Amino acid sequence: MHLLDIKNLTIELPTENGVIRAVDKVNLSLKEGEVHALVGESGSGKSLIAKAIVGVLNKRWRVTADRMHWQGVDLMRLAPEKRRKLVSQDIAMIYQEPSRSLDPTAKIFEQVSESIPEGSLSGNFLVRRQLRKKRVKALLHKVGIRDDKRVADSYPHELSEGICQKVMIAMAIARNPKLLIADEPTTALESTTRAQVFRLLKSLNQLKNMSVLMISHELEEITTWSHAMHVLYCGQMVEAGPTEKVFNAPLHPYTQALVKSLPDYAQGLAHKESFYALKGTIPPLQHLPIGCRLGPRCPQAQKQCVVTPKQKKSHGHTYACHFPLFKEDKKCNPS
Amino acid sequence: MAKFKLFTEESNRSPLSRLWRKFKANHPALVGLWIFIALTLLALFAPLISPYSINQQHADALLLPPSWHDAGNVRYILGTDDLGRDILSRLMNGATFTFGLSIIAALITTALGVIIGSLAGMSKGIRSSFFNHLLDITLSIPSLLLAIIIIAILGPGLLNTVWAIILALLPQYVHSIRNLVVEELGKDYISAFRLDGASKWKILVRGVFPNIYEHIVVIFTMALSTAILDIAALGFLKLGAQPPTTEWGAILAENLGLIYLAPWTVGLPGVLLFIAVLSTNLVGDGLRQVLKDRKAD
Amino acid sequence: MREYLFRRLSLLIFMLLTLTAFTFSLNYLFPGDAITNLSGQVNSSYAQSQALADKYKLEENIIVQYGAFVGRIFNGDWGYSLSSGQPVFEHILLLFPATIELCVYALAVAIMFGIPAGVIAAVFHKRWPDNIINSLTLMGFSIPIFWLALLLIMVFCLGLGLFPMSGRIDLLYEIEPLSHFILVDIIAQSFPYGGLAFIDALKHLALPTIVLAMYPTTVLIRFTRDSMLNVLEQNYIKTARAKGLNRRQLILHHALRNALLPVIKQIGLQFSTLLTLAMITEVIFSWPGVGRWLIESIYQRDYPAIQGGLLAVSVFVIFANMFAEFSHTLLNPISRNQAHGKI
Repeated sequence: MHLLDIKNLTIELPTENGVIRAVDKVNLSLKEGEVHALVGESGSGKSLIAKAIVGVLNKRWRVTADRMHWQGVDLMRLAPEKRRKLVSQDIAMIYQEPSRSLDPTAKIFEQVSESIPEGSLSGNFLVRRQLRKKRVKALLHKVGIRDDKRVADSYPHELSEGICQKVMIAMAIARNPKLLIADEPTTALESTTRAQVFRLLKSLNQLKNMSVLMISHELEEITTWSHAMHVLYCGQMVEAGPTEKVFNAPLHPYTQALVKSLPDYAQGLAHKESFYALKGTIPPLQHLPIGCRLGPRCPQAQKQCVVTPKQKKSHGHTYACHFPLFKEDKKCNPS
Repeated sequence: MAKFKLFTEESNRSPLSRLWRKFKANHPALVGLWIFIALTLLALFAPLISPYSINQQHADALLLPPSWHDAGNVRYILGTDDLGRDILSRLMNGATFTFGLSIIAALITTALGVIIGSLAGMSKGIRSSFFNHLLDITLSIPSLLLAIIIIAILGPGLLNTVWAIILALLPQYVHSIRNLVVEELGKDYISAFRLDGASKWKILVRGVFPNIYEHIVVIFTMALSTAILDIAALGFLKLGAQPPTTEWGAILAENLGLIYLAPWTVGLPGVLLFIAVLSTNLVGDGLRQVLKDRKAD
Repeated sequence: MREYLFRRLSLLIFMLLTLTAFTFSLNYLFPGDAITNLSGQVNSSYAQSQALADKYKLEENIIVQYGAFVGRIFNGDWGYSLSSGQPVFEHILLLFPATIELCVYALAVAIMFGIPAGVIAAVFHKRWPDNIINSLTLMGFSIPIFWLALLLIMVFCLGLGLFPMSGRIDLLYEIEPLSHFILVDIIAQSFPYGGLAFIDALKHLALPTIVLAMYPTTVLIRFTRDSMLNVLEQNYIKTARAKGLNRRQLILHHALRNALLPVIKQIGLQFSTLLTLAMITEVIFSWPGVGRWLIESIYQRDYPAIQGGLLAVSVFVIFANMFAEFSHTLLNPISRNQAHGKI
């Protein structure tokens, strides 16, 4: 059964100039133990989707969906309190700037022990206190923090971003969640810490069978260890499918542009060769194009592209394009 | 054929007009603004429109209650005091003193505060620290006490009261403006400006001021409400305006003895003071809210 | 930490010195003879004025005079009051506790009512508790304190006769002035009519405290509400919500701690205003405190008394301010770690 099943998720913002559709009919489904990557440029609505799942979106946004099921339970119909309880038990989230997501006036020990579910500690007050200390120590060790005594005794502003992010991961796994949503967790970190965090998430996925929804805009790192990839452009899902297929044989022009824009360090570039990039920039939210939102920038755009393309499936590979890039040896011919 | 919109036009208004639109949407603030303007007009034109002169005594109408009372008379709408003077006229003229002088005091305080505050904000090092701690000391002396001491040095009287209030309010507002300037100077665009080669004066005038002038207006409204309360307090303590000047606090003090016989002589000036300060605070609050909302957008 | 203490202490000394310099200069700024202002003795004979000139070192230059002035302050010789002839210092010792008592109770009332109201207003933002609290606060903020006092007197004293109008306690009761804090004195003495005297003192305290507490309460409500709203928008609150904490835990554990820190600092800054308002309140309610004495001194042009009062009041405010700042730094982990403060 699918852990998370989302169909036609739409997030809108009513403003004085009309309704802005930040996320337009996005589908997402996740099975247990899978790692999914949600890829897209800044401003494509990735964080909005994550926040909508967890339920911490600002009240100004209007969230509608045909289906938003978590293990079969419809999240949209639940009362806020019940939803919060359900979500907090099984879904955990880590954020982009870890030091800002930690309470500046509370020590790390306090914050981590808050995440430990109360029910799992048994015994009287003193026994529980000892158990709690042990648990916090174990959690901090599990995420790779050797010096747990010093870290547990400090305040967030005394620690580096890397350690803060590891602390956040420790807080996230304290409840043994089934799904971990990582919202650009490594953007604020240096590359060595970045590698450490990725290794940690990978090991958590393999050892504890925890699903991960990884939101990022770094293609190279995610493609090595994710099972499926969803590509988002301006709030529209343009391509989704198993990672190797999407990466090696992209069907949508945008995915192809993304893949082509990665510099190939093995081969190197010719002298003064320009990087590959699509012309133009992401349109602002107030001026979204009608139909396929890549239209103005797409090198293959034609008159039909003013109609929003429907999502089509081909061998487990979903794409939304009128003129997908099938290779020449396939039977279908691009018109 | 009726006109209809073909394209949705984008509204790209200037920050100032957006501010005004948001302000208009906040009804209490708008009401406050109307009252404020009405009081300012009253302060300017009171001698022309008040029915009687402030010192005109009517021996036949002593201690008349306001006209909505049974014993009152519609010729003296708000009643008369124990010398037979019409309260309405006295209060209207009082607007000139209390309200008008407060506006002048607040304006001068804000102007001086901007000058001194910017100087303090722009300076660095020992000189700046010395300056700031000097200001901190003046902050520890209660403002009324400072005003009283200045009046003791200069002697009582309306003009000296204004000077005393300006000097007593100054430390607090220099402090606020200095904090504003320092905060603004810490931002990146000022560094960019400096790297471009702007002189200190240019940074201040072109970079800092356009971004803080709205906050300065908010500070001005706060200074104004404090000034009104302080001028009235000093008048009440008989240290400021001397009779027969019809400053509202002084009227209150004069009529204290009548509190049992004629409570309206004591109540009405207070109501006016309350309305004046309330309207100023409404406008100030509205502005502050609007600035916060605009930043959040 | 040690460096911080050292800096603060040197700052304190600097402020006190400047304050005394300012007070000293008032001797020359006030109208009248400098020597009368300094000593408080009028119409002294030739021998006396010679002695005085020696004592106050009027012959020497101004630095020495200032030094002598500071020395006298520490000795407790603050001159003699021109109107009563008594030493100024004794007056202040007698009257200051009454003012402090009033201020402390008013501040306690303000904190007890103001902070919870501010928190409630922030938590129920844009709903009816917030709107009601906001409107009431705005009105309370705008009302002139002397008018409020007069209104309350009209309604409660003259109209309903519930509370007495002036003084600290009924003349019937004779309380030994031990500490000059009246409630403490009554409790300490186990007086035969102690209970009645206590209730009477409370009745006398009620109206002045309510009047004095009005302004600090409104300021605290507004400030707490603003600070709390600011904190509730921060990222860590959203993280904690996603973690699954319920509302009550969230507010009590995380939001409150962060929101109250700037409020503590603000309380320190309120002391100066509190004393200003206390002066007016004391005049209206004939409360025997330093404020009323100062205002009477200025009517009577009693300059030594004004200087002494200024010194006492300002020193009190400086110390109160410093205490609040210390508490703020102690409780705030971020500023605790700042080895060098910002200049």
